[in-house]
Amino acid sequence: MTPKLKRSILYWLILGPFAVVALFPFAVMLSTALKPADEIFVFPPTWLPTRLAFENFVEMWSATGFGVALFNSLWISTAGTVLSLLVAIPAAYAMARLRWHGQGFYRQFLLVTQMLSPIVLVIGIFRLMAAMGLVDSQWALVLGYAAFNLAFATWMMSSYFKTIPKEIEEAAWIDGATRLQSLVRVFLPMALPALAVTGIFTFINCWNEFVLALTILRSNEKYPLTLQIFTLVGGAYKINWHHVMAATFAATVPVAVVFALMQRALVRGLSLGGVK
Amino acid sequence: MLDKTRTLPALLMILPSVALAFWIIGYPIYDVAHTSLHAVNRFGKVQDFAGLANFARLFEDPIFIGSLWRTILWTVTVVGGTILLSIPIAVMLNEDFHGRGVARVIVMLPWAISLAMTAIVWRWSLNGQYGMINATLFQLGILERPTEWLANFDTAFPIEIGIGILVSIPFTSTVLLGGLSSIPNDVYEAATIDGATGWQRFRFITLPLMKPFLQIAIVLNVINVFNSFPIIWVLTQGEPANSTDILVTYLYKLAFRYGKLDVAAAMSLIMFAILLVFTAAYIILAARSEEKGA
Repeated sequence: MTPKLKRSILYWLILGPFAVVALFPFAVMLSTALKPADEIFVFPPTWLPTRLAFENFVEMWSATGFGVALFNSLWISTAGTVLSLLVAIPAAYAMARLRWHGQGFYRQFLLVTQMLSPIVLVIGIFRLMAAMGLVDSQWALVLGYAAFNLAFATWMMSSYFKTIPKEIEEAAWIDGATRLQSLVRVFLPMALPALAVTGIFTFINCWNEFVLALTILRSNEKYPLTLQIFTLVGGAYKINWHHVMAATFAATVPVAVVFALMQRALVRGLSLGGVK
Repeated sequence: MLDKTRTLPALLMILPSVALAFWIIGYPIYDVAHTSLHAVNRFGKVQDFAGLANFARLFEDPIFIGSLWRTILWTVTVVGGTILLSIPIAVMLNEDFHGRGVARVIVMLPWAISLAMTAIVWRWSLNGQYGMINATLFQLGILERPTEWLANFDTAFPIEIGIGILVSIPFTSTVLLGGLSSIPNDVYEAATIDGATGWQRFRFITLPLMKPFLQIAIVLNVINVFNSFPIIWVLTQGEPANSTDILVTYLYKLAFRYGKLDVAAAMSLIMFAILLVFTAAYIILAARSEEKGA
């Protein structure tokens, strides 16, 4: 046996239990989503359905209001991410490229916003939104998500910005470009990988957020996916688990594919943004 | 040219972020502090100044004290378990073996499901009659009668901790993996030539070089886990009899179920203080390691 083969067997033996637990929810989603309705509540429960009930996915779409919730999730997360990046880019640039009074103070200010999550301030946020007439408004979520992802986005991008050589911008100025021109034409294109990784993380944070959506939104047709699916299992006397699992599966697979494809970039991005 | 002090342009550049944060984070901090010192009626209207009465009521409340202890238990066990498991996982994923690409994807997968949805799937899996956990344990002959896993503290809370660890591993091992891949290979080669064993290489090269990454992973995990709401809220809502409540879930109940905004605000402030102390400790730690040149 080659050392690599030996190592592979050993590592998979160690990773095996974790892999089983990590994949377990996916197996449950799939198993339940493909069971005909009358096989959900059968005792003792079984893993395999007698036939594959693909119609669950079709029924789920209208039964759970999936389409509307998907659209809500998409637009709220996109708007939150764009706003967060728009606000964080200049801040990250100032952190990475300029020296100024109060820089250290600003760094600590970011740290404090990073450490707070919406849940700790949920009362204050709710009262703020109530005073501004933003209860049940999706814009309240967009603004909140942008604010709570700000510190992370600024950090990630400023540490990446520092790795872009200053000389490139200076060369652009010598060629007669203004600061703004050099920023938009030269600097940002080079920083694109950082914007992409930061954008993906922010988007996923918004996509998965729960507490603010639960607190602020009132009407079902405004709910994002997470909240919509939670509502289905919230207080209902009879839960249609085959629809719920079909919905969670459909909501999860696209994100899982993005993670699988981006895995290498995410490792690099996090190690850059996290520490340096 | 770039290194001149440029305070004004910098202030203009950070202005939008400061404004946004002051509005949605800063104002609520002020509002929570203000509310915590006043009585609030049932309709959410702030009334008379109450001094520290709301805080006093909290410390007489056994559920609050219980939640506080459970939050410590929850944070320590979830973060501890996550770090202990993530180190070997990251070390393995950093080495060449068959199927490493697949293993990396599997390790990251729990990250792709939102916490609330993860919790929903587990709640269904743990269903006492029809859940797949019971089904599997029946088939393996481990269990004879159906078990209501979430109906009592002794099984519910450890399960919640386990799920907390499961969902924290992807982020943590990714940060650690990023750190490991930045360690140049020749350091290990030199150590091997000098006769260092595998354990010695891990103990004297990997761990010290990983220290900043471990630090950041611990800090971010403590913050995340301390603030983590969906797992417990979806699985048990802190029940039975508040026995699985942690501070965040009890806070939410106080505010939005029992309508005690004043006491809940006091609780928010206490949590804010705990997080602040922790962050300050981190800043001091980080400053010290920077002085050492680490």
